[in-house]
Amino acid sequence: MRNVLVTHADEPIGRRVVKTLFHDPEIGTILAAGDGAPPRSFDRFLAGSEPRLAYARVDFAKHRPVSELFRSSRFRAAEIDSVVHVPRHGAPAAQAAPIVAGLAERTAEARLVLQHCLETASVRNLIALGSAFVYRLPPGNANRLNEDSELDLDPDVPPEIRSWIDCDMIFHGEVHNDRLRVVLLRVPTVVAAGGYVYLNPSLAGRPGYRLRPLGFDPICALVSDKDVARAVQAAVLSRCSGIYNVAGSEAVPLSVLARWTGRASLPVPGPLLAWAATGARLMGADGFRSAIEGSQLRYGFTLDTSRAERDLGFRSSYRIGLARAGDGALRIETASA
Amino acid sequence: MKEVDTQPLSSTPTGELLGLPSGGALGRDPFAELAEDDPFAARLEELGLDAGIAPRRQSPAPRPAHPRPASAKPAPEAGARADAPPTPRRRRWAATPQLAEVELPEVRDWLDRVLGENERRRLGALTHLVEGEAPYDRYGFSPEATRLAFPFFYALYRIYFRVRSEGHENIPDEGPAILAANHGGLLPFDGAMGVTDVVLHTDPPRLARTVVDRWAGSLPWVNVFYARVGQVVGTRENFADLLDDGQLMLVFPEGMEGMRKLVTQRYRLQPFRVGFVEQALRARAPIVPVAFIGTDDQSPILYDIKPLARRLGLPVAPLTPTFPWFGPLGLLPYPVRYRIVYGEPFHFYKRFGPEGADDSRLVRYLANQVRRTIQQLIDRSR
Repeated sequence: MRNVLVTHADEPIGRRVVKTLFHDPEIGTILAAGDGAPPRSFDRFLAGSEPRLAYARVDFAKHRPVSELFRSSRFRAAEIDSVVHVPRHGAPAAQAAPIVAGLAERTAEARLVLQHCLETASVRNLIALGSAFVYRLPPGNANRLNEDSELDLDPDVPPEIRSWIDCDMIFHGEVHNDRLRVVLLRVPTVVAAGGYVYLNPSLAGRPGYRLRPLGFDPICALVSDKDVARAVQAAVLSRCSGIYNVAGSEAVPLSVLARWTGRASLPVPGPLLAWAATGARLMGADGFRSAIEGSQLRYGFTLDTSRAERDLGFRSSYRIGLARAGDGALRIETASA
Repeated sequence: MKEVDTQPLSSTPTGELLGLPSGGALGRDPFAELAEDDPFAARLEELGLDAGIAPRRQSPAPRPAHPRPASAKPAPEAGARADAPPTPRRRRWAATPQLAEVELPEVRDWLDRVLGENERRRLGALTHLVEGEAPYDRYGFSPEATRLAFPFFYALYRIYFRVRSEGHENIPDEGPAILAANHGGLLPFDGAMGVTDVVLHTDPPRLARTVVDRWAGSLPWVNVFYARVGQVVGTRENFADLLDDGQLMLVFPEGMEGMRKLVTQRYRLQPFRVGFVEQALRARAPIVPVAFIGTDDQSPILYDIKPLARRLGLPVAPLTPTFPWFGPLGLLPYPVRYRIVYGEPFHFYKRFGPEGADDSRLVRYLANQVRRTIQQLIDRSR
């Protein structure tokens, strides 16, 4: 029986992780924490005299609130032994935030969560979600990447990618820790029912126009949010530590993914890409932006998930595709295979 | 999709186990290395492996019972707890149904009308290569894009290059296999004609996944087109993954050297890269030697201005009878007749096993054996 703290439980992936863990009989108490108010979908889990789920509002980018959480009586009473760190997804979709919003916070949060996990004796397991966009992408339309593939340590890497690499390195450094079992799950573009897409730097933010280099349409590996939650669940319950790629079986070109998720992907000649993005921003076309201008816009990748399959017993079980919604519109959906 | 059980791989002796020094052979003149008195070749002869020019006559390849290569079983993560029970893995082979079992796709547009019933049925079979009949596979291959592009290449195949081919029975019906061919011509029409020929002459219809140079993967539009019609960038991981998936690969071990050879060197094979032999051993895949005749005549290079090529970042800056005199049109191939000959497959993995891939001298030797066979096929068929 594991008692789990889930960070950023108010964000979509965090919510999905909490729901999946809640229905697992091998999981005891769940302490969910997030920046905002408790999600309405948690209401039924929070009801009752002694609910298995508790929710706390915590700003994970600040030392004091995190410290107070890990030293709180509720944390001790719940006998939390596992922490699931769901990173900040970036700027909330509903807000017109700057492109790099949340990036510094994401790195700070990773550092603080790891530090407190190391300092708290009762915590024996740390499962962190990372991004698969940390890999260096050599030229090519699709590259099969495994966990040992080279990371993109180019100093000119876009800030969005840089923040993911920083987080990755923070957790990577403790993978061999004897006391704390650290599992880092690298996930590609996460797709959720209803046309939502997360953790893809090219499609981050609210729906709108996106720029991509003319003549390139990289393939994007996809994974369902439900599969991500299942992978987290498997990692919590396993006894393995290390880095694992987690991905579904589907991959689609960036332009198709943009169309499926209600975004328009506009091809621009490569040398003009940065100017076009800057010009659009200066003219106030906030949705008309390209979150990154790196190799991720040119070269795609897929992930070798055999290690997760072998060690964690994880295999994706949700298919991703277009389905006609109740209002007649075609939306991206996930369905059990 | 065919279910295949994975079982432990058997081990067979490698050159290293024979007591021979490994390594050090890379980069030498491969033909000089294959001198008749080569003690390495002699030891291989003792073991029953033909060290001569002609490939050893093999009995029809039995269906591999355990196609999973050693490379697909990665070393445990350093931090992984060793007591975690390994999950038995079942690998699915990407396979197409027999032609007779394929439902004839309906005619959707004029492109379909260009093709006959047989060709449309074959293209319909390729949709089974994508798991769950999704629109794209994980390398970007799209059966729909292939359907749209196929009539163009079919016209080239039938009318422009008037391709004749023989030896299709040497292409395995299923499972991982490598077609190793000579490369020629300024533009890679040999790859396109090879893929078209394989689609048209195999049952169940197979798609040869051509391994293309990384340079091509960075070219705008070209990289997208290659991916949509099933070609992949030549990295070890891609190669191993596709073989693990039971796919048929088409490689040109000469690489760009084959394409930029001068007219004086036509049909003389350039030194081979050896990665395809390593992958074949690891994936337990047969290697089918393939000779393309006609490719070296389609754009004879009179001179390669290498300094200019280097300055422009191009693999070749050719002078041909038509280029640059007629502008970009001068790069188009002449309407030469193509002939494609498939040789008998090599089953190196049966004798050397996956461990042989780690013996660079052995791998070099086997690659040269394939090379000599292709050269012989060319010389016989011209």
